[in-house]
Amino acid sequence: MSWLHLLILSPFIYTILIPFLYKSFRRIHTGWFVLPLPLILFACLIKQVKIVAKGSVLSYVARWIPSLGIDFVVYLDGLSLMFGLIITGVGALVVLYSVFYLAKEREALHNFYVYLLLFMGAMLGLVFAENVLVLYLFWELTSISSFLLIAFWYQRKSSCYGAQKAFMITVAGGLAMLAGVLLLANITGTFSIQEMISQFSLIRNNPTFIAAMLLLLLGAFTKSAQFPFHIWLPDAMEAPTPISAYLHSATMVKAGIYLIARFTPIFGGSMLWFWLVTGVGLLTLFWASLVAIRQVDLKAMLAYSTVGQLGLIICLLGIGSAAFYYGTGVTEPLYTTAILAAIFHLVNHSTFKGCLFMVVGIIDHEAGTRDIRRLGGLLNIMPVTFTLAVIGGFAMAGLPPFNGFLSKEMFFTGVLNASQFGIFHLETWGKLIPVVAWIASIFTFVYCLIFVTRPFLGKHHPQKLEKITREAHLGMLISPALLASLVILFFFFPNDLAKYILYPTMAAILPGFTAIDSGLGPIRAWHGWTPELFMTLGVVTAGLVVYFAFRKWPRIIRLPSRFTWNALYDGILEKTEELSGRVTGSYMTGRLRDYLIYIFVGFIILTAGTMVINGSFAFDLTTNSPVLFYEFVLFFVVIGAAVLVLRGRTRLASVVALGVVGYLIAGFYVILRAPDLALTQIVVETVTTVLFLLCLYFLPRWNEEKPEGFRRFDFVIALGVGLTVTSLALAASGNNLFDSISWFYEQAYELAGAKNIVNAILVDFRGFDTMFEILVLCIGGLGVHTLIKLYLEGRKSK
Amino acid sequence: MNNIVVLPLIIPMFTGLLLAFFRKNIILQRTLSLASLVAVIGTTLYLVGQVRNEGIQILEIGGWQAPYGIVLVADMFSVLLVLTASVVSALCILFAFQTIGVQREQSYFYSLFQFLLTGVNGSFLTGDIFNLFVFFEVMLLASYVLLSLGGTKRQLKATIKYVVINSLSSTVFLLGVAYLYAVLGTLNMAHLSVRVAEVGQSGFLTVVAFIFMIVFSLKAALVLFFWLPESYSAPPTAIASVFAALLTKVGIYALFRVFTLIFYHQPEITHTLLGVLAALTMILGSIGAVAYRDIYRILVYNVIIGVGFIVVGLALFTEQAAMGSLYYLLHDMVAKALLFLLGGIIITVAGSEQLKRMGGLIRHYPLLGWSFLVTLFALGGIPPLSGFPGKVLILQQGLAKGVQYAGFNWLTALALISSLFVLFSLLKIFILAFWGETRPGSNAEIKNINGLLVPCVGLLALSIFLGVGAEILYPYVEQAGYSLLNPQLYIEAVLAR
Repeated sequence: MSWLHLLILSPFIYTILIPFLYKSFRRIHTGWFVLPLPLILFACLIKQVKIVAKGSVLSYVARWIPSLGIDFVVYLDGLSLMFGLIITGVGALVVLYSVFYLAKEREALHNFYVYLLLFMGAMLGLVFAENVLVLYLFWELTSISSFLLIAFWYQRKSSCYGAQKAFMITVAGGLAMLAGVLLLANITGTFSIQEMISQFSLIRNNPTFIAAMLLLLLGAFTKSAQFPFHIWLPDAMEAPTPISAYLHSATMVKAGIYLIARFTPIFGGSMLWFWLVTGVGLLTLFWASLVAIRQVDLKAMLAYSTVGQLGLIICLLGIGSAAFYYGTGVTEPLYTTAILAAIFHLVNHSTFKGCLFMVVGIIDHEAGTRDIRRLGGLLNIMPVTFTLAVIGGFAMAGLPPFNGFLSKEMFFTGVLNASQFGIFHLETWGKLIPVVAWIASIFTFVYCLIFVTRPFLGKHHPQKLEKITREAHLGMLISPALLASLVILFFFFPNDLAKYILYPTMAAILPGFTAIDSGLGPIRAWHGWTPELFMTLGVVTAGLVVYFAFRKWPRIIRLPSRFTWNALYDGILEKTEELSGRVTGSYMTGRLRDYLIYIFVGFIILTAGTMVINGSFAFDLTTNSPVLFYEFVLFFVVIGAAVLVLRGRTRLASVVALGVVGYLIAGFYVILRAPDLALTQIVVETVTTVLFLLCLYFLPRWNEEKPEGFRRFDFVIALGVGLTVTSLALAASGNNLFDSISWFYEQAYELAGAKNIVNAILVDFRGFDTMFEILVLCIGGLGVHTLIKLYLEGRKSK
Repeated sequence: MNNIVVLPLIIPMFTGLLLAFFRKNIILQRTLSLASLVAVIGTTLYLVGQVRNEGIQILEIGGWQAPYGIVLVADMFSVLLVLTASVVSALCILFAFQTIGVQREQSYFYSLFQFLLTGVNGSFLTGDIFNLFVFFEVMLLASYVLLSLGGTKRQLKATIKYVVINSLSSTVFLLGVAYLYAVLGTLNMAHLSVRVAEVGQSGFLTVVAFIFMIVFSLKAALVLFFWLPESYSAPPTAIASVFAALLTKVGIYALFRVFTLIFYHQPEITHTLLGVLAALTMILGSIGAVAYRDIYRILVYNVIIGVGFIVVGLALFTEQAAMGSLYYLLHDMVAKALLFLLGGIIITVAGSEQLKRMGGLIRHYPLLGWSFLVTLFALGGIPPLSGFPGKVLILQQGLAKGVQYAGFNWLTALALISSLFVLFSLLKIFILAFWGETRPGSNAEIKNINGLLVPCVGLLALSIFLGVGAEILYPYVEQAGYSLLNPQLYIEAVLAR
């Protein structure tokens, strides 16, 4: 246990207090009790920034299941530190915001903060975990806490739907990731990420390399809502807005990015990885920004925009992974700019998107709706909120003087660089990357513009709103304002951010990277008339054109509406339930006859089939004693009686025929000179026949039941079973491989003083069996008694 | 020779017999049955320690030397199962105290419960294949009566099918024993193992192996599970929980014993077939689990999925995989009992088995809801709960073996996907029963379920311990896995003098 372990576990420990605090101090908003925790954690992590910037990493071990190699190892380097800062920093702001967002009178605050703290701990654990299985643990825990938070208003059907969808998709991805890391562990013999990285060449040459990569990416893409798994994120917006700001834009959805970054040293440099990560990221960016501009719900718009921005970051990480084409990773700016851009944009996105979500929360809270068709003219009512929306929105659009401008320009540099790598067929297909990126950026610009203008400009329609709108409470404005100031701060001082946060993060991804000889120049807002600048200018121009065109002809951008990925998901769920019901119903008929047929058919196929295939059906009758005339007679009479049991016209006839079969079996015992067996058999047979006849008295009359015709299929199966059992018996008797241990019992008199060997076996040698067989009879007796005496439902009297 | 080995089965037997004479005295019945279970747990704990320190413990019944007499064998695999079975039974009986009703209590319920445990523990401990048959009978007879106890229409309908199918499987078991004796001339499992090893497991012995596979698959609900859904949903909750926790496990245990001790020479045939059966079970179980919207059906198909998952470990046939299966077996006993208990409480408070008649239960029954949620995560194998260590071991071995034989990759994939179905099907219960609007009328009066939750919380704590405390269990599980894959240890303990 170290301070870092404690840091991860502290939110979990704190959850225990929350219900008590909630119940004891009903007049104080529970959020105030929670707020200090993320602040303290943030302060703890800030203290590490300087140490990590110097290039040192911290690692501590706590034992969990060392015998299986599963230990709670934590690892603090640039990458995890950056995430840790975002988690605790945004966490603190979100808690502060939620104090004013959630009314203490109405909401189940204890639940809210317990889930929130669970999530915070899980997310911290995820980024600091060094053991892949511990990483998996926290990974699933984030899915679980997200599930609970989305369904915070669990009475709503849509909340439950969204929660279930998010959970199933991310957990399915988590399972894939588990399989992926297990494959890696099988190759390297360790669950430690760092040890895996050190054996990267071993992994790359292993045949399961591709499978491991695909499975891992499945985990990352589902968690980070990449196409086509993005469908859960918009539905996750059912969560209270602080949660959307925290989990579904700033932290949890970036876990997939974290995973990709963490495993880039292993998989980077492979062509498949490059194209998958870059391609999926780019496709997601493109698709999501296209869908985003059609949204009328501000939150849904932000959800799609988050999906797109995550795609952008992932695309950049994919491009940067080419650095590993040459072994352990080159550190030339040609490759590394993309990685720097990815990290920079990740940080920026957390600031501006967090701010924007909080703005939506404010609008929703004050105006009672997030629908842009009902909103308008809020500028005069909510000037502060509008300012925040402008800062966040323009940062997202990539305009100066906001941090998004810098990272967006870098994004263009990154995609332009890609075509110059000269590997992975980039010389031809690589040209497409900047084109798609540019078009996607236009749509991004458009929805940013919609976001900033539609609710705030135009006419105010108070009649469309349910309540009177005013500017938000000051407390609710603090958090977004802080984030907005960061947006501007990072624009003016990007290089300080780079020195302490971005470069150490890069060093964690690229093993050979150092800030000093990286070759990366300082981050500048103005870098001459470069292609990037022209691209930005192009985005603004084209964006404005599209914006006005779109306002005039809203149908200008048509999307295939009949087929959507959501419909696919819903369809799968619905069809699965229906189809599985039909499949299960088709064999679980509830009829005993069918079940017996399955068993018999299985029995025949498995035993008779094997005997035929491996030729073990061999028997030798020469050593057997000859079959006597009487035995033949008995044999045929037994068969005749057995047929009579089935074909008997009355029950009485069948029971009597059954008795005949039993007595004839006793006859065999007599012929084979086993008098005690014969006696036993006769007694048993007599008793059962009498009991049967007694039972008949209580049964309904024969003609009340349907007469059964001759069933050919049943007959074949019955015959098959009979033949199989007979041939098995013959084969068994022809396969005596060893002397039986029965010689031992022949000394019954010497050993047990018994003159009757059967008795000695029953009561002495194997008396244990007999005792429990008596117990079986005893239980049977109890059963009969209870069946007769106890009937809880009542019974029709005769 | 160690006389303690017989106690876990003889204590419940005598308790059961004794209780049959005091059927009206419910206080005595309850006290004695609980005391008996505590005694069994105590002795088994002691036995676990002995096996850990001194190796496999045996008892030759009546002093008759193996292989001529019957021998009880306590190896780590067996005693861990006995221990878990007894603990789970103890907690289920606490539940039964409150729910089973005076009429059943006065109709030998506690006796039958003890007899059931006698059969279960006896099956785990015996080292003689015919004696195994006898203990199966004890267990089955007790389960027949427990299933029908109360005589409701639903119970009787389920019982008749259950009895017929199990009688059939007992007959096939007996046939198998007879053939085995005809060929090998012995019944002692260690001795059988020696003799099979001597002549090689070929020809007719493969056929006999398959007969045992069919028999135990019927008991374990491996593919042949048709009898299970109805019979596990008909009896009262306390009984259904014990069934779900223990009965199929005995079949699984028998599969493990027979296919690691006796028929282990041709894994490419027998264990491949087991893998196919496991795959089919997981597929059919998963399909069944998502097909319905009533609680019992969802739960019973989850039992079936679990069976398939455990047998994957046997099909893989490595030490690590066997350890994984054992971890998972222990987990599954605890978690399935818990799942059925919670399911029973949900049905009681909601007044219906149909999910569409439920909603919003979390408002009045928060502890019930959260317990159910944690249980479903445990069953889905989410760390750090009990399903995780076993799942990781099995999956890891599956993927490792998949490098050589691609079929194992498919098996592993199925195992992985099946846990998704577990999560999905149980989450459906959670969402529909606990979330959503509170149904008017359905839970008009809020029932006090605190007493019922006591055993559930106990099982829940056990489940968490099995996951978080996996390291504490590790040496025991490792010993069990090692001795399963090294049958000579078992043989030496039984036959060497």
